[in-house]
Amino acid sequence: MSDIESPESGAHEHHEHHHDVEGPGYATPQAAIEQADREKISYVPSLYVGTDVDAPDFLSVVDVDPDSTTYCEVIDTVEMPNKGDELHHFGWNACSSSCHVEGLERRHLVVPGQRSSRLHIVDTKNRESPEIVDVIEPEEVYEYDLSAPHTVHCIPDGEILVSMLGDKDGDLPGGFLELNDDFEIEGRWDPPGEIGMNYDFWYQPRHNVMVSSEWAAPKTYYPGFDLEDVEKGNYGHEINIWDWTNRTVEQTIDLGEEGLIPLEVRFLHSPEAAHGYVGAALSSNMFHFYEREKEWFAEKVINVEPREHEDWDMPVPGLITDLLVSMDDRYLFFSNWLHGDVRMYDVSDPKNPRLADQLWAGGLFGPRHPTGEDDREVIAGPQMLQLSIDGERLYWTTSLFSTWDNQFYPEEAERGSVMLKADVNPRKGTMTLDEDFLVDFGEMPNGPARAHEIRWPDGDCTSDVWQ
Amino acid sequence: MSDRHRIELRWRGRNGRTGRTEIVRAESDESILDAAERADVGLPFGCRTGACATCTGRLLTGKIEHLRPPRGLKNDSKEDGYVLLCIARAKSDCEIEVGSDVQTDLVTNPWK
Repeated sequence: MSDIESPESGAHEHHEHHHDVEGPGYATPQAAIEQADREKISYVPSLYVGTDVDAPDFLSVVDVDPDSTTYCEVIDTVEMPNKGDELHHFGWNACSSSCHVEGLERRHLVVPGQRSSRLHIVDTKNRESPEIVDVIEPEEVYEYDLSAPHTVHCIPDGEILVSMLGDKDGDLPGGFLELNDDFEIEGRWDPPGEIGMNYDFWYQPRHNVMVSSEWAAPKTYYPGFDLEDVEKGNYGHEINIWDWTNRTVEQTIDLGEEGLIPLEVRFLHSPEAAHGYVGAALSSNMFHFYEREKEWFAEKVINVEPREHEDWDMPVPGLITDLLVSMDDRYLFFSNWLHGDVRMYDVSDPKNPRLADQLWAGGLFGPRHPTGEDDREVIAGPQMLQLSIDGERLYWTTSLFSTWDNQFYPEEAERGSVMLKADVNPRKGTMTLDEDFLVDFGEMPNGPARAHEIRWPDGDCTSDVWQ
Repeated sequence: MSDRHRIELRWRGRNGRTGRTEIVRAESDESILDAAERADVGLPFGCRTGACATCTGRLLTGKIEHLRPPRGLKNDSKEDGYVLLCIARAKSDCEIEVGSDVQTDLVTNPWK
């Protein structure tokens, strides 16, 4: 295969590489590091759902180019055609896994509504001023007895896979919806009955594997978090290991009490790697999963200790809500949304992560004004993360989910989210909060908004998969 | 046949101020959310299927029926008068407390 050739033999011009056929993405993770430009804009779903701001959610175009006069500002917004979507996670129509597909471009974003089950197709041909070109209405989705779209990954050959967390009524089980390259529903990807619960997923074609995680039924998590639901077993604690080509679950690994609510799943980027991580939010443990002799295992490798807080009756869990692996597979970053910190671990030895650095901003224990006393306060803790492809800048937003935000950080509805950034030194393994960077989603035209996931136009550390 | 009911929607006041009130007319065969939208009165909502509880209101007086099971509400919340306006149909004139604060009553911080 051409994608294991040395990147040095390829052209260094942006987006051009040494494949037999031109397609989107980069030949290898190393080629991405070498060829990607610095990120200049980012796309960030921004929300009004669940507040008294009577307006639709929108996609923000955020200027992250320090040489620009509008640095740290929302320079454009794409308003959704309907209210009530709860835009959440979103993804590209194509990534490096479709590198060999001629004529395909990484150009369209699939932007689902978590509550509405509506799927929006946004064309980013004009990067600074994208537009909605197509909408799949909830009724079309319900026909496949699915609802609550979550993770969007392009899959090889131009298709798009979306994890769906519920059936058409918001009950279990969920499944996967497949879209074709014309953004039409192709059908249900998985045979019904393979899984009980669903959430995030990542696939690794060379190992013929997909790993999916579990949140809960939409009707359980939509209204907010209730400890009673945990006691009743309504929240997930398993990961499913799929045969990627057969679309069947080959193994289910129960993470037990220590693995309650396994959310984000990230494989190492190297297509040869059979290692990944999944963060158990409620138990606040990081699990390493790996393959040995055709069998998959998951082991707890990091534990975030709960902490006492004077206003809380019980010790507060860190609540690991997001994680990512740097493009060179050297560092694992994750966020503790309740505690208020971001951690950086050296994972050169994937089984033995070593804490490299940690920083605090907002949350229950971090500084309320991390970027300076004169700047607006940061209400919630670090949540969705995104890293520059060269691994030198880590960005994050602070909203988790509208009803959960209201429970744990009620002021966020009044003040809106922020986007923050740390400068990362991969050589020394350190992070430094950039006190000159703050994007204030409290200052949006219709009122304060919540901000969620972050994506770069040319792919990022949580989009790209290599065949 | 379709009867019209008078629905009084009441928002909570904030910072010591009285909340706003809107009156809408609801046909007996439409949801209260639809009736409000028709009258150009914005209420929070999400799934429109009774699963997500974003549109939670609290019935103060009157009678409603849910068109399908209100999955987003637990039994004790139903007993406390909470209703899901996306699937609630008025059976009489009603007074309903609305706005995003009502949904937040359903879930408090369980550790505090």
